[in-house]
Amino acid sequence: MRVLAVADVGRMILKGGSARVHEPLAARFAPGDRVIAKNVNPVGHTRLPRYVRGRRGVVARDHGVFVFPDTHAAGLGRKPQHVYSVRFAARDLWGPDASPRDAIYVDLWDDYLDPEGDR
Amino acid sequence: MNGVHDLGGLHGFGPVVAEADEPVFHAEWERRAFALTLAAGFLGEWNIDMSRWAREQMPPARYLAASYYEHWLWGLEHLLVERGLLTREELEARVAVLRRGEAR
Repeated sequence: MRVLAVADVGRMILKGGSARVHEPLAARFAPGDRVIAKNVNPVGHTRLPRYVRGRRGVVARDHGVFVFPDTHAAGLGRKPQHVYSVRFAARDLWGPDASPRDAIYVDLWDDYLDPEGDR
Repeated sequence: MNGVHDLGGLHGFGPVVAEADEPVFHAEWERRAFALTLAAGFLGEWNIDMSRWAREQMPPARYLAASYYEHWLWGLEHLLVERGLLTREELEARVAVLRRGEAR
C-alpha cells in the first residue's frame, strides 16, 4: 500500500491526476459528424447524463483520448477512447418551449455514441 | 446508475446563486474532508472514478439533503470500509468519542 508522505504533498498536488491517455487511437467521429447518444441505463458509474440519452447531437470537437470512467470505476480496466464535445440543441433536449438559440455541450466518450445513420 | 446525482433537467431546486468572493472551504471540516480524501486516495486502493461511484451510492434522500463535502466524506467512509481499511464499528466508535467531546 502506498502512503503519501508530508514532504511529497505539495509536489503531488501540483502534479494533479489527468485522465488523458497518450495512445494514438483512431477517432471514430470528427467535428461536424451527427451522432445519437445511446439510450442505455447502466447500473454502475457512467458520465452519460440521462437527459441526452437517445438524443441527436453534433460533434463540436475531439478532446483526445481518455480513460473510460464506466469500466475504470468498476475495476474493469481503463479502456482508453476518444472524448468528444457534443452539441445538443436545447429544443432537441427540452422540446418546443426551449429557446431556438440555446444549446448545451456535453463531453461524451466514444462508447456513449452511435452515428446518426444507424437509425 | 440512474441516481439522484444526475440532476440535469430537474425542476424545483431553485436558482444557482454565485457567492461573491467564495472561499475554497466553508468550514474547517470541509478542508479536512478534502485532505483526508486525497491522502487516502494516494494509498492506491481505488481510483478517482471509483471515488465518484462511491458517492453515487449514498442513499438518495440523504444525498439530496447533504452538502458537497458530505458526499465526499460519505464516499470515503464507504470505500475505507468496503476495502477493509476500517471497520464500520471503528468508525462508529470514533464518532461516539467525538460526540462526547473527549477528543479533538
